[in-house]
Amino acid sequence: MIIDSNKIQKVIDDSPQDKKQLIMILQNIQQEFHYLPKESIGLVSEYLGMPQSTVYSAATFYKSFSLVPRGENIIKVCKGTACHIKGADLIIDQLDAGIGIKPGQTTKDMKYTIEVVNCVGACAMAPVMIVNDKYFGEVKCNRATKLAKTG
Amino acid sequence: MKIDSITKLDKWRKEILTKQKTIKTKVLICLGPGCLAGGSDLILKEFQTLLKKKKIKDISVESVKKTGCHGFCARGPLVIIEPLGIFYSKVKKMHVKDIIEKTLQKGEIIEKLLYKDPNTEKIYKEWRKIPFYARQQKIALRNVGQIDPDEITDYIANGGYAALAKILKSMKPDDVIEQVSKSGLRGRGGAGFSTGRKWATCAKAEENPHYVLCNGDEGDPGAFMDRCIMEGDPHTVLEGMIICAYAVGSQEGYIYVREEYPLAVVNLQKAIDDARKYGLLGDNILGTDLCFDLKISKGGGAFVCGESSALMRSVAGEIGEPRAKYVRSVLKGLHDKPTVLNNVETFANIPVIIEKGADWFSAIGTKKSTGTKAFSLAGKIKNTGLIEVPMGIKLKEIIYDIGGGINDNREFKAVQTGGPSGGCLPADKLDLEVDFDTLADNGSMMGSGGMVVMDDRTCMVDVSRYFLNFLVEESCGKCVPCREGLFQLHKLNEKICEGKGTEDDLKLMENLSETIISGSLCGLGQSGPNPFLSTIMYFRDEYEAHVNKQECPGGVCKNLITYRINDDCNGCMACLSVCAAGAIKGKKKEQHIIDEVKCDRCGACFAVCNINAIDII
Amino acid sequence: MVKLQINGKTVEAREGEMLLAVIQRMGIDVPTQCHHEAIEPTGNCRLCMVEITKKNWDGWKKSVTSCLYPVEEGLIVETHNDKLFEIRKTILDLQLARSPHSDYVTKMAAEYGLEKSSYPAEPQGDDCIMCYACTRICDVLGKSAIAPTMRGHEKIIAGPFGEAPPDCIGCLSCAHICPTDHIKWNDKGNTRKIWDKKFKLIKCKKCGKKTITREFADYLIEKRELPSEYFDTCDVCKRKETAEKMGELVIKAREATI
Ligand SMILES: Cc1cc2nc3c(=O)[nH]c(=O)nc-3n(C[C@H](O)[C@H](O)[C@H](O)COP(=O)(O)O)c2cc1C
Ligand code: SF4
Ligand code: SF4
Ligand code: SF4
Ligand code: SF4
Ligand code: FES
Ligand code: FES
Ligand code: FES
Repeated sequence: MIIDSNKIQKVIDDSPQDKKQLIMILQNIQQEFHYLPKESIGLVSEYLGMPQSTVYSAATFYKSFSLVPRGENIIKVCKGTACHIKGADLIIDQLDAGIGIKPGQTTKDMKYTIEVVNCVGACAMAPVMIVNDKYFGEVKCNRATKLAKTG
Repeated sequence: MKIDSITKLDKWRKEILTKQKTIKTKVLICLGPGCLAGGSDLILKEFQTLLKKKKIKDISVESVKKTGCHGFCARGPLVIIEPLGIFYSKVKKMHVKDIIEKTLQKGEIIEKLLYKDPNTEKIYKEWRKIPFYARQQKIALRNVGQIDPDEITDYIANGGYAALAKILKSMKPDDVIEQVSKSGLRGRGGAGFSTGRKWATCAKAEENPHYVLCNGDEGDPGAFMDRCIMEGDPHTVLEGMIICAYAVGSQEGYIYVREEYPLAVVNLQKAIDDARKYGLLGDNILGTDLCFDLKISKGGGAFVCGESSALMRSVAGEIGEPRAKYVRSVLKGLHDKPTVLNNVETFANIPVIIEKGADWFSAIGTKKSTGTKAFSLAGKIKNTGLIEVPMGIKLKEIIYDIGGGINDNREFKAVQTGGPSGGCLPADKLDLEVDFDTLADNGSMMGSGGMVVMDDRTCMVDVSRYFLNFLVEESCGKCVPCREGLFQLHKLNEKICEGKGTEDDLKLMENLSETIISGSLCGLGQSGPNPFLSTIMYFRDEYEAHVNKQECPGGVCKNLITYRINDDCNGCMACLSVCAAGAIKGKKKEQHIIDEVKCDRCGACFAVCNINAIDII
Repeated sequence: MVKLQINGKTVEAREGEMLLAVIQRMGIDVPTQCHHEAIEPTGNCRLCMVEITKKNWDGWKKSVTSCLYPVEEGLIVETHNDKLFEIRKTILDLQLARSPHSDYVTKMAAEYGLEKSSYPAEPQGDDCIMCYACTRICDVLGKSAIAPTMRGHEKIIAGPFGEAPPDCIGCLSCAHICPTDHIKWNDKGNTRKIWDKKFKLIKCKKCGKKTITREFADYLIEKRELPSEYFDTCDVCKRKETAEKMGELVIKAREATI
């Protein structure tokens, strides 16, 4: 995937030029591109006047940032306590069988990315799965793949 | 319109109330996390579309209100019709037309949408009478599920910002601190530190500026109280923080919200914008000398950022590594300045304490843990949801009277409280009174209020492994005992789950735990071994079964179990179609069999078989 | 000055001083890894833990890292006991599993009677003990070319993307401060290599000896406002030059007085 660094620069320019806003700026970039393109580390470091290593350190510390491109559809499976004891692993296994990838991976055609998350706060409906920001509760494992594909 | 005096606020409140009186019937639609997962957003839309087309006396689109979590998530999506309190549960989009035509138009009750208590078969028309609600007492959650979080007018109609007006009119900062101290309020974020004392220390600190921070990180998996408050009643968080700012002399505050809660960010931002617009935030609040403004700081997905020094670094734009220091953050916090950090629920209690007084509050609960506590009930319990109960209530009452008991009436095994820093309490602790000190004395902790209930099909060794895995992933990696210690503890725990552990491993784990607790730099490591220690304290027999007999009594640990199809199998083929390993053979309407060699123990067949024809042995 | 008691002896210390400094001054041997005079303490290794109490604490004790705990009037400190021994031993035991090939760790662990780790050793484990000495010294230098990246057990010290750090000037401060010699570097011919980054070394105009990297020199010139030709000659030649100049001056001065 080729991303125009002008586009990244534009997102950066729209953010406050303040070292304290580092995480927010990275979030804005990720919001736009679904991941942090490699160039963004250097561009942010220049904009905020801080070392690249500091920017990279933050980008790798926080789990919500991805430094590799993610798929068109993001499927999140909750692995919080409530979901764990109600069978989150079954969902992960079924998705692996149905879509062919494990958590943290993206399909070759860039269509799907599967991620596990630690509790999304809908524990009452565990196990929970989120497909492109839409929540599904009490997910039966045999419906997981279908939900992932059709949302 | 700026509300630049207390008189104006009172006048505005009267106007809102007069206007609201004209709306006789209110249809509340729960858009809390649980109901939303059941598609309640579609129900809301359907109501709006249908009501636009129809003319019904006393009912219009304005009668329909979206709310935050109403509490009884297990029965969601919920639609509640006030003032009668009619409680419709498990509502689907297709029911909306019926509700409008029958209930709203003709006053008829739709029986099939009412709640039937599975234990007593009793049907309830009104939500307040349902046992789930009847035992509760709401302070922090008083508005959640009752008001539209986007409407500042709803909050004001329910008495919002009256506490702020009260302190500005008649109380000095010291009076506020005195009331909060006298109320006995202890922090709801976990440790239970006296809120009044924290405020007093900050107020006295000479260095300037002072900051007020709200901890909305809610990292404890299985907990969602703070999410529901931030989403369902954001103004109460704001009001609590403004009152704190007045008390400790602060002009700047931040709400730290975890990134997994996008709706909380949106709702809080709306509340902040509105409060600013009306002059309840910003310069000269309500026309007085008080100036205070708030910003939201979004987390990046790191549990450790709930820890105070890590949170403050994260707010400052740095990585969330805790700082080792022996100066308290209330004196040297954000940007090394005096800082009050309180949990969302702590702040939500403040306006009520101010309004009703410290004595009223401290009369609720127990002597050392006053007031109420919000809990999220989840796991293998019938009535999952959001509750608030007086401190001192028995665990049993929460789990059986409010929670309705265990799913499928199975046997209760344990309840996990306090998340990764807490522990699991067994059946013989069900009589414990829930408060900060009792839980801690029994090897668990209050934590932020997550309660995950486990039945006999949960393996406690696996639960410990689960939490250790969580902590290994979430450790910041700065100090040795936590980074290496939890890593090894988890590996040993895994070994036991695989049936390869020994008694020596258990001893090694216990010794290692001690060093992790006393040697780690921050609370994450210092409490990290708790899930292991509490499970081995109460469920040693399960560990021993794994170690000595290579058995998993809960039927969970893959290496130690086998799935077998019994004679009840009717050949529905559900298991076969879900088996990714291709281990199941069988024809339609004939008994199926599992090839034990091919089977990789995923458990999918067991989960989908509707007639319990698959055994775990 | 504050008065406190360490292992039964009463000592005086300056206000604001850390316990470790006082302990070391008394000649008591408390193990440390991440402590270094040149940089701010961070408390990563936890080996320097001591137990503190006060008269009015009712016998309650607290374990604290002495490198970070400021002295207090009336503090009663214990630097060695069974509990502390156990903590230190377990920490080294864990490090031995993580860095089985490190001489530094192996030697320290041996002092606690550990020959082999109680935990499964990680054959691929590197020698980094995550003391942050390197990143802290690079921060002091004003470069912050390297930083802790990732988190938890996967944490490593590296430049962005694990590649040559763009801000590194090849000064070797990190390599010299690293207690386990984990940071590899070499000078070959005119080239220095560290963190996978190559640098040209300056050759002394007089004697031809290699001195520091061009980047480091430029940085110092800018930061300390030195003359731009400052690093053209090496220290030795510079000293010689000064000595010669001084000599000339002395002779001239003498001639003048005569
Ligand atoms: C690892 C760790 C995670 C924590 N996570 C949270 C959290 O998610 N929410 C919270 O309110 N407090 C959390 N805390 C507790 C906070 O550090 C702090 O004590 C609390 O926010 C203070 O507010 P309170 O006095 O109102 O409870 C956490 C502590 C630790 C050590
Ligand atoms: S205890 Fe764990 S989370 Fe806390 S500083 Fe140490 S490594 Fe980081
Ligand atoms: S447990 Fe999983 S792999 Fe084994 S038979 Fe059942 S579905 Fe197939
Ligand atoms: S050699 Fe590079 S990384 Fe090391 S201290 Fe010098 S500038 Fe920093
Ligand atoms: S590389 Fe050396 S100095 Fe840097 S953290 Fe690792 S052990 Fe410490
Ligand atoms: S545990 Fe899955 S949503 Fe909370
Ligand atoms: S989300 Fe609707 S009741 Fe909890
Ligand atoms: S020397 Fe004090 S923690 Fe490392």
